[in-house]
Amino acid sequence: MIRDDPAARPADIDASTGLVANTRGAVLRFVPALGLFIAVLVVWEGVSRIFKLPEFVLPAPTAILAVLIAHQRDLGYAAYVTAREVLYGFLFSAVIGAAVALVTARFAAFGRALYPLVVLFQTVPKVALAPLFILWFGFDLAPKVVLIVVIAFFPVAINMMVGLQNVDPNLIALMRSVGASRNEILMRIQIPNSLPYLMAGLKVAVTLAVIGAIVGEFAGAQAGLGYMIQFASTQMQTSLVFAALVEVSVLGLLFYYVIEWIERRYVDWVPAAD
Amino acid sequence: MSAVEPAHILARGVCVDFTVAGRVNRVLHDVSLSVPKGGFVSLIGPSGCGKSTLLKVLAGLLPPSAGEVSVAGVAPVEAVRQRRIGIVFQEATLLPWKNALDNVAMLTHVAHAGRTGSEIRDRATEMLRLVGLEHAAHKRPAQLSGGMRQRVSIARALALDPEVLMMDEPFGALDAITREEMSAFLLEIWERTKKTIVLVTHSIDEAAFLSREVHVMASDPATIIEALPIDLPYPRNEDSYSAPAFARATARLRRLLKEGHRQAAAA
Repeated sequence: MIRDDPAARPADIDASTGLVANTRGAVLRFVPALGLFIAVLVVWEGVSRIFKLPEFVLPAPTAILAVLIAHQRDLGYAAYVTAREVLYGFLFSAVIGAAVALVTARFAAFGRALYPLVVLFQTVPKVALAPLFILWFGFDLAPKVVLIVVIAFFPVAINMMVGLQNVDPNLIALMRSVGASRNEILMRIQIPNSLPYLMAGLKVAVTLAVIGAIVGEFAGAQAGLGYMIQFASTQMQTSLVFAALVEVSVLGLLFYYVIEWIERRYVDWVPAAD
Repeated sequence: MSAVEPAHILARGVCVDFTVAGRVNRVLHDVSLSVPKGGFVSLIGPSGCGKSTLLKVLAGLLPPSAGEVSVAGVAPVEAVRQRRIGIVFQEATLLPWKNALDNVAMLTHVAHAGRTGSEIRDRATEMLRLVGLEHAAHKRPAQLSGGMRQRVSIARALALDPEVLMMDEPFGALDAITREEMSAFLLEIWERTKKTIVLVTHSIDEAAFLSREVHVMASDPATIIEALPIDLPYPRNEDSYSAPAFARATARLRRLLKEGHRQAAAA
């Protein structure tokens, strides 16, 4: 009924044109970066041709492209294996990180017990745990997922914690004044308030997840882009190393932009200034 | 006046002490006041005189260390529980992810869990209309001006249909022109809804223009030094600012505030 109110229309139109302008602006923003990227590739290609650099030292972009095409099936499979690790690792990191934040916010005493331990655990260089996880969980998906979670849950938890706590105390007072319970305040105020913070944490987490997957594969694997990079470098197949690197970057970008898309679609407000 | 009308809000000998690092700090000393039903009272005073603290005590957000307070015949905490008190802060404290309509409805959803969604929406729409924002129902706070946001927060308080509206410098963050507009708007709301209003402000003009009675506070000790009735007939409008009674009232208020200031400086 209220949606049919014609007076409500101008806001919708404003919002949609604003969005269109933003999308166009975003595309235009990429033009200088793209130009510079192409310039770097051209110089790189020129240098490696003029100085006739051996391919195992620094392959030319065209040589890397040729390998990307020639080995596309192997690279594709490796990318699939790594993507699976990143996806599972990231999802578990998100769920565990959010759970830690929620429990800490809701049960203050438990939070006080948990928080110092979590921080203490952060001082361990987690990459150093990779061999242990290989020992415990084998060479497949599991040790990589565990390693990723150990690396990537922390930024999720810490960001969401800040978002859950960074609520205007007057708003809490208002909620209390109408008899709201702790759970109601959590559900109606704190959790929605934490979402922009959570999204920022997820973006950090997904970047760390890619690193975790590659490091996990370095420590011991039978497939994946990290495994491929290590294998190719021992064979002096430097073009293949670069080709795998390209796929790692593309993979990381894809994951990152999926999260950014979710953020734009569902968390489209700026957190209130404090 | 208060001898004839029964007090809607009553405070007797209210003190508030904060203990900081083992030292007792008296932030409110022996405050008594009485507001009749449908009255409009302002609390004015220098910063740090405890006017916001007094409002918090009256609104049931802070228990007094000594003294008695009653709102509509019961303790403030009980009045809050019975949804008789609506609160408006200096900042609009809206939820940035909800539009104006849902912001107005938010507290009602919690306060009256038994009501249906459409009942609450109808009430919220009505309140938005009352504050002149029905056209902005679907805008988020970020799309609204400061004055509009504050009107949404007033609508949110009114949606609970409280008997008393407690306002803590509600227009303090707004520019001068918007402030005057909001003052006129608040008078209109008051005349239409017959709520009892207690307003904390540091603006002499605002206090004199709006209130039936202004309570002037001083610090050291933080208490009410005078309750000044404003002899200006309602409905008041822009012309009221140039009325002789308005000039007399503001001159008196200015003198009282200066005295309080001098005392504090001497102490």
